[in-house]
Amino acid sequence: MKFSFFHLMPYPYLPDDFDSKYDSSALTYPNANFDPALGSALYARYLDELEYADQLGFDGIAVNEHHQSAYGLMPSPNLMAAALTRRTSNARIMVLGNAIAIRGNPLRVAEEIAMLDLLSGGRVDSGFVRGIGWEYFAHSINPVKSRARFDEAHDLIIKAWTSPEMFSWYGANYEYRYVNIWPRPVQRPHPPIYIPGAGSTETMKFCAERKYTYMSVYAPTSIVRRWFDGYRAAAADLGYVPDPEKIAFSVPVYVADTDERAHREARPALEWLYRKGLKQTAEMVTPPGYMSPGSLRGVLSSRPRSLGGLSYEDLLANGQAVVGSPAAVADRLAELYEKLGGFGQLIGLFAIGPSTHEQVMRSAELFAADVMPALRPLGVAAERTTA
Amino acid sequence: MTDVAPTEEFLELAGGRVRLLRGGAGEPVLFLHAAGGAGAWLPFHSRLAGAGFEVIVPDHPGFGKSDDFPEVEAIDDLIYHYLDVFDLLGFGPGAARPHVVGASFGGWIAAELAVHSPQLIGSLTLLSAAGLRLPDHPVADVFLMPPAKLAAALFHDPPLDPPLDPSRPGAAPDLDAIIAAYREATSLARFSWVPYLSDPKLERRLARITAPTLVVAPSDDRLIPVAHARRYAALIGGADYAEVAECGHAMHVERPAEFAALVASFLVSHPLAPLSESGVSR
Repeated sequence: MKFSFFHLMPYPYLPDDFDSKYDSSALTYPNANFDPALGSALYARYLDELEYADQLGFDGIAVNEHHQSAYGLMPSPNLMAAALTRRTSNARIMVLGNAIAIRGNPLRVAEEIAMLDLLSGGRVDSGFVRGIGWEYFAHSINPVKSRARFDEAHDLIIKAWTSPEMFSWYGANYEYRYVNIWPRPVQRPHPPIYIPGAGSTETMKFCAERKYTYMSVYAPTSIVRRWFDGYRAAAADLGYVPDPEKIAFSVPVYVADTDERAHREARPALEWLYRKGLKQTAEMVTPPGYMSPGSLRGVLSSRPRSLGGLSYEDLLANGQAVVGSPAAVADRLAELYEKLGGFGQLIGLFAIGPSTHEQVMRSAELFAADVMPALRPLGVAAERTTA
Repeated sequence: MTDVAPTEEFLELAGGRVRLLRGGAGEPVLFLHAAGGAGAWLPFHSRLAGAGFEVIVPDHPGFGKSDDFPEVEAIDDLIYHYLDVFDLLGFGPGAARPHVVGASFGGWIAAELAVHSPQLIGSLTLLSAAGLRLPDHPVADVFLMPPAKLAAALFHDPPLDPPLDPSRPGAAPDLDAIIAAYREATSLARFSWVPYLSDPKLERRLARITAPTLVVAPSDDRLIPVAHARRYAALIGGADYAEVAECGHAMHVERPAEFAALVASFLVSHPLAPLSESGVSR
């Protein structure tokens, strides 16, 4: 099992009347509520936390991209990754990922990831995401073209990294007469690719065909199990069994010295994450064309309740958060490992909403010292092959 | 005026089928529906047909019972789509040319058609038309509005029980209706996410329009500010302008009687002249 420390870099200072006054923490939540001095201090604190995770022995430290939102303060994850390259030495630097479908110029992503790969000495992992629905409003990209732009941007970036010769690109969404990036990445054939999945069979097949790491987004265990099984089935259709490491389970994790203390501290943090941080309207979640009508029908038919309606106890029972003493967290993750049919990477969200710096650091310390060793033997291929 | 029931027809185009409703007899009136108005034969249509016109109401690509036509990606493609529809309906050089009436999104298409092929348009009526980009008078974001808020914004005097609101307490969610609405919103977004419900070049091209034109605005348009209708009227040579009092964006739905009378009176006073063989109008 490999473990990574994932950061959203939230802006936790929401006003007391947030719940009644605003229908989202994104897009329409006025940035008059953002205090740059507090934001600057948060960046310093959050980078310290990611660097500390490297020192603690996490296999990876992870950042991601969000726009116009208090949920996550990283419009450019590559900038944060660049900052991390100079002050970490061992951990993989995981960009999970760049929202290539909403980028006007995806070649820029190929260039920046190549730069990061050189800066980090070949430690960068490159995630590609479509971007959340509200971000199509925020960056004025037509959501109807989301899937086509994602696919084409992906193909372009991979070719830009791997083509032995310069080339031209004429696609439905992008056109370049000269693709000839300097620098090229150091990892061959290119940095490992991570793709988040949320139930789309096309995505499962896309990842299985390319042996990319398939990572879950926050959802109940029974649903994540279906996604992981779908990825395994897509690989089976292609005649292979995926390396466990290609399946990554993402979940918020909070560890404290005792169960009682862990729950007392985690409850408000998780309630913030799911009720405020992820608060958004239906129109922001699924702008027109972001899903096919058929996919929307599937989601509306199966979705039990909105995230905001879940209680803290529901979140724990559903496997949408793991909280407790080191022993309890290790037990629960081992249980989820079984329930999910196995996975080889755990991507933990340790800095949850308004958690304090001290809480996050202590949680990561306890996890590294007492949870990782217990889970380390899980999710390793019996006979490791290079996939 | 008596109620006129329509017949349903399908046109076979290279890219798919167009469904249309047709009712009444007289000079042809092509009605281009609003984003929320596909597939419906409204009291307004019935009244107009009853006033002595043949009213033809096609569903746009990706709306109602028309096919998706995925290759129709933007407003320019929509113009060529409707030129194909004109051909199949028998409108064109040496033949008839129709009155064209467009509401909201359909008004935008009507204006673009009249700019592209002024000789094909017998008369042009724009009802709270989209299509202009007026940064000082932005169009409300229909993609971000919850259904209940959108339904309320369409009317000066909103119905108490908005029919479009799937979330109202006690109502069983109608999954098919939600999916159908999502398909149509997706089609609208395909044509008009950005530039938002407009063609920035349309304004400077409006002088090409030669057909007699009526621009109608509701007094209380909460989606497309009345400034848009005034700009259309100012830039289309000789256009008539009318404002309907105590009326919201969905004028032809909220005040069908006043509305049909206004449009019918304009159409009657501008009878269709035959199109000359040379294709030159007026």
